Amino acid sequence: MEVEDLGHHISRRFNEDLERVRNSVLSMGGLVEDQLDRAIKALSDGDSQLGLQVAEDDVKVNRMEVSIDEECSRILATRAPTAGDLRLVIAIIKTITDLERIGDEAEKIGVLAARLASVERPSTNYRELRNLARHVKQMVHGALNAFARLDTKGALEVVKADNAVDEEYESIYRQSITFMMEDPRTITRILDMTWMARALERIGDHAKNICEYVIFMVHGKDVRHIGVKNIEAEVEQGARRLESRT
Amino acid sequence: MTLPSRWASQIAGLAGLLVAALILGWWFGGPGWWLAGAALLYVAFTLRHLYWLDRALDGHRRVPLFETRGLWAEVFARVEKLRTKARNRKKKYHRLLREVRESTGALSDGGIILNVDNEIMWFNRAASHLLGLDQATDLGHRLDNLLRYPDFVEYLKKPTGDGITVRSPRHENGWLHVQIIPYGTDQRLAIIRDVTNEKNVERTRRDFVANASHELRSPLTVISGYLEALGEAGDMPDAWRSPVAEMQRQAERMTRILRDLIELTRLESADAAASRDFVDVSGMLKPLVQEFQGRGGPSVELVLETDAALLGKESELHSIFYNLVNNAVRFTPPSGSVKVVWRAADGGAVFEVIDTGIGIAEEQIPRVTERFYRVDPGRSRASGGTGLGLAIVKHALQRHEAQLAIASREGKGSTFSCRFPRDRVVFRSDAVSAVL
Repeated sequence: MEVEDLGHHISRRFNEDLERVRNSVLSMGGLVEDQLDRAIKALSDGDSQLGLQVAEDDVKVNRMEVSIDEECSRILATRAPTAGDLRLVIAIIKTITDLERIGDEAEKIGVLAARLASVERPSTNYRELRNLARHVKQMVHGALNAFARLDTKGALEVVKADNAVDEEYESIYRQSITFMMEDPRTITRILDMTWMARALERIGDHAKNICEYVIFMVHGKDVRHIGVKNIEAEVEQGARRLESRT
Repeated sequence: MTLPSRWASQIAGLAGLLVAALILGWWFGGPGWWLAGAALLYVAFTLRHLYWLDRALDGHRRVPLFETRGLWAEVFARVEKLRTKARNRKKKYHRLLREVRESTGALSDGGIILNVDNEIMWFNRAASHLLGLDQATDLGHRLDNLLRYPDFVEYLKKPTGDGITVRSPRHENGWLHVQIIPYGTDQRLAIIRDVTNEKNVERTRRDFVANASHELRSPLTVISGYLEALGEAGDMPDAWRSPVAEMQRQAERMTRILRDLIELTRLESADAAASRDFVDVSGMLKPLVQEFQGRGGPSVELVLETDAALLGKESELHSIFYNLVNNAVRFTPPSGSVKVVWRAADGGAVFEVIDTGIGIAEEQIPRVTERFYRVDPGRSRASGGTGLGLAIVKHALQRHEAQLAIASREGKGSTFSCRFPRDRVVFRSDAVSAVL
């Protein structure tokens, strides 16, 4: 009786540990979303101070990554989790790496926005960039929601959205080339814009990675580098398996 | 204790049966068999009723009545009564529940019930609409996992004050106001309101004031310039000297008011918290106080009890200190005195301005930080005030999480104290330990 009680106690503590580290991943995600949001705001408002502030605040994201990483190592070392618990810990370790990278890209965007704030603004006020940013922000938001809800269908939506973002990036890239050929005086500004589009496109890729980890965590299937069609099939199959089990 | 009549008749019936069996047994021989036979008969009779009762209860049907009197009729009637009562009560609760659900669903404000771990226990239709929650999947998830704004997560940990305004997760330019109300033992209710319109109106107002101030400034600069040239012109008729000088004074005052208005709108529209630059307070206060000394006004004394520094925005802190000292000097007669104190208190630090001036009536104290509120309009204007000083002080202090306390007695003087919280204050000892 006493032994059983003890066992129950340990597993409950373990559950609490896992839950806590999962929650900190999501608050790190919230911080990263906020960083990205403010970086974009710095661009659209031409607020160089805000842009630099974002760049400065990246240390907060980095600090969170380190502390979650440590916590995961501790769980792996002391609890030796298996099956679903192990997948959760692995997915968390990978997710925070991608979140940290998103933070880095946001930092880059902040610095570029600060620089762009001091030059003449195009008449469209960077409409294409803001559009791309909106889609990317939605992707990050969707990826974190899928992570919070363990929702593979939502994750799949985000994976699909990545193609549209890539296309948008391509079109900004081509447009930039024409602008630079038309008027070489704008080259500095347009290069910065291209860098920013590149950073946004990378953020989309990281959001997609996070979604792949969510699918791995829930269905136990590695869906990296297999194409959207195959991922869709895996998600459907996994959902059917879960249903038949219940 | 007396038996109810239904029990008495039942027992009497049973006793009669047994006695009859005994008599018959004695008459025909074998009384034991007769007695056993009678008992069996009674058991069969009882079992039959039990069977009916059980079947009736099982099938949710009306309990059938086979007898009009006696114990069993009574039992059946009472069971039926209980069942009708329970049925009616159930219907009533059902209706009540449906009404509650419908009315909370029709509320335009979102409501979410959270448990002690911030897990979502229940939410209404408006909440799912405002936050994008899904009734099928989101119950039991933590709210701060789905609404991840760092400010909001902080607020959820320590819900104080009257809520927090966050961006809408569903609409790009939308704003939501969330307030957490604890109730019961450890349940919490989150009320969510769409404040996009309020925010927009507020912004329009702020933009209007800011734009109007900016637009008024350029013509005023031209007027001031010409007035200055006029004032310095040697060949001006004497009759015009004093009007031109007065015009110059008024133009200067207008410039000051516009400058303060612009400062105030900037404070209002800036982010919630001021930046955390290192500001040497004693180094800032010394020249500031000197500026007021030897002007023919009241004596101004600086008392530095601590060498603590602040983490804040230098220009805003300067404007807080300047406005408070300026106010005190203006409302204190030349014979009076003003004391400026910088001291440590309760872990934090306090900036205090104590004057022996005209003071403020008690009922006016809460209103003095309103913009353009004047305790004594004539006097305030004559002494060159813009009516915005204390409003600026209030907003700048809010951005530093500091609090303004005003104590005053009419005719005796006033004390304005600004209390800065611990995490905005750096003591030299902190600085030393940080280096070590």
